[in-house]
Amino acid sequence: MRQVFRGAVLLLLLLIVLPAPANARQQQPPVVKIGTEGTYPPFSFHDPQTQELTGYDIEVVKAIAAKAGWRLEFVETQWDAVFPALDAGRIDLIANQVSRNPERTAKYGLSNTYTYSRGVIVRRTGDDRIKSIADLSGKTTAQSSTSNWAKIARDAGARVEAVEGFAQAAALLQQGRVDAIVNDNIAVLDYLATTGSKDVEIAGDAGQAGSEQVLALRKTDAALLTQANQAIDALKADGTLRGISQKYFKADVSVEDGGTADLSEGRGPRSTWDVLRSTAWPMFVGLVKVTIPLTALSFAIGLVLALLVALARISPYRVLSGAARAFISIIRGTPLLLQLFIVFYGLPQIGLKFPPFTAAVVAFSLNVAGYAAEVVRSAILSVPRGQFEAASTIGLNYSQTLRRIVLPQAARTAVPPLSNTLLSLLKDTSLGSVVLLTELFRESQLAAAESNEFLALYSFAGLYYWLICVALSAGQKRLETRLNRYVIA
Amino acid sequence: MTDIRIEVSGLHKSFGSLDVLRGIDFTVPRGTSTVLLGPSGSGKTTVLRSLNVLDTPDRGVVRIDDVSVDFSALPAGKAGRAAAQRLRAQSGMVFQSHNLFPHRTVLENLTEGPVVAQGRPIEEVVAEARVLLDQVGLADKASSYPYQLSGGQQQRVGIARALALKPRVVLFDEPTSALDPELVGEVLSVIKDLASEGWTTVIVTHEIRFAESVADQMLFLDGGVIVERGTPGQVIGEPREERTQRFLRRVLDHG
Repeated sequence: MRQVFRGAVLLLLLLIVLPAPANARQQQPPVVKIGTEGTYPPFSFHDPQTQELTGYDIEVVKAIAAKAGWRLEFVETQWDAVFPALDAGRIDLIANQVSRNPERTAKYGLSNTYTYSRGVIVRRTGDDRIKSIADLSGKTTAQSSTSNWAKIARDAGARVEAVEGFAQAAALLQQGRVDAIVNDNIAVLDYLATTGSKDVEIAGDAGQAGSEQVLALRKTDAALLTQANQAIDALKADGTLRGISQKYFKADVSVEDGGTADLSEGRGPRSTWDVLRSTAWPMFVGLVKVTIPLTALSFAIGLVLALLVALARISPYRVLSGAARAFISIIRGTPLLLQLFIVFYGLPQIGLKFPPFTAAVVAFSLNVAGYAAEVVRSAILSVPRGQFEAASTIGLNYSQTLRRIVLPQAARTAVPPLSNTLLSLLKDTSLGSVVLLTELFRESQLAAAESNEFLALYSFAGLYYWLICVALSAGQKRLETRLNRYVIA
Repeated sequence: MTDIRIEVSGLHKSFGSLDVLRGIDFTVPRGTSTVLLGPSGSGKTTVLRSLNVLDTPDRGVVRIDDVSVDFSALPAGKAGRAAAQRLRAQSGMVFQSHNLFPHRTVLENLTEGPVVAQGRPIEEVVAEARVLLDQVGLADKASSYPYQLSGGQQQRVGIARALALKPRVVLFDEPTSALDPELVGEVLSVIKDLASEGWTTVIVTHEIRFAESVADQMLFLDGGVIVERGTPGQVIGEPREERTQRFLRRVLDHG
């Protein structure tokens, strides 16, 4: 009995002394709900092989939880919705590379910093012409055109080539098409660690103030914030954070000047085969969920419009035929990409705002209508006049004549050229990637940006397109045979 | 109901500066056959097409049975089209090149007009169509497609299609001109049967011997006017006009 009592007192003392107050005060560890994107590699994403949520931020917050004695529940939320979710109490903490800024400091409880980032200049390995921001004058850099980095490069006197993402910029730099890149050191470190590339290197700082990434909590959750800060400090002290950072970035980003990547060992790049294997499915999903529905819907709507335009074009009414002629001329006389941009970026300025998929359907079906109208028109005119006359002598009106007599015969003439239109459309839907549609091509772009496997991934995407085209061509052949059965003995 | 089935008066038609019809007047009594003869360009086909309003005359009146259209006063737009459609519904048209619908079976070619345009019950129309096919000797071809038939058979389907509309009159526009010589006979005999069954017919043809045997009335056209008219005996046997004589000499020499 005495021994039991002494043991209990000792345990109590231990718990009070130990720097993990959560365990001391509560029997049952609290559940902390963590808001994170889950689609933001390498910080918060799903491992392509296991589908499990992982990443730098996820591992950091798990380490914090282990120290602070929290039980975690991850809530995956889009970036735009993550702060409202925190306000509404649906999550307790955001672990998603939240940057410290005055607005957030005022409104939220921000933790101690667990990631430091700063602007750096990247050059081809060993290119001594570029050492600092001053050396960029008169040189060419590759940047996302809307980013703050593009502005910094321009201010330094560089010519800026616009690119999509860091991988594309790095490819241009390697190929010698640009001289340097200005970017966030974390993005650079991630790229270097993931690809294992030794062709480019960090030349130096871009000379800007760095930024600090923190956990965000509600201001009212002071106790939770205290626990988080104590845990972060402890993890920094015992090297846990450095370890996690090394794993992802081959450098320590948890301290203010973590230096450059040491690529001599550790996590290597994935093989081309692994990249393809993990991307084949997302590309297939992009094909089935976006590319094919977009093609089918645009083609169907486009054909109906084409028929109306063709009928207007051959109508005896000057106004109608003139309008149809103008429509066809404009559609065929301007680039499809431009038409897509007008619908997606232009029309919202006059109050016509469509979601990406709808905008793409609008643009593509109008484009199909412009091209197919001429096909439909010539197909209708290829039906002998006697067929129109015979239809009218038996009393059919205009629409009955078209529907029942003329169009079935015109279809025979129209199928081969319309099949061409359909194949073009299928491939043209890849332009949807520029209006935020995650279709087949966009999936391959995303994967290529992450893995640098441009040749393999784009070829693989091409294979998907080609297979669908082959299937469509086979369908065309069957349809032609079917339509020809009235005229071939 | 009058005994005059067709009454045409003062018909004028020009295509651009070309005056094709320059005042055509004639009547067709019920149950008779009228043959239009004349050199090419004489306007005979245009007369026939005017009866079916495939060509719209500029002036003149066409009456078929109790539907009459005065083309000088034909309103524009919808009302005009409706009037033309009422007149058109009075006649069935047989074309030189049959103009069958290639994507429809023989039976469907016959039933299309009655079912779709006239809105009659399909069972009734199909039964009638089978009787008509039997009548033109093609009962066994109901489910064939036009391309599977000979030219003569195609033209007989064309005739049956015109009859399926239950028209007041049947119009034939050179029904054998596009046929091989050995196929002409079967088509002419069908037309002859119709005439003897009491159908009112108007026929444009170059087959003089056939015209002679089928016609109750012959009209010889030249230059957009009727030059000579009468029974076959009068027009072919004893033509009074020099133009008629010249035409007959030419076609009879070749025939």
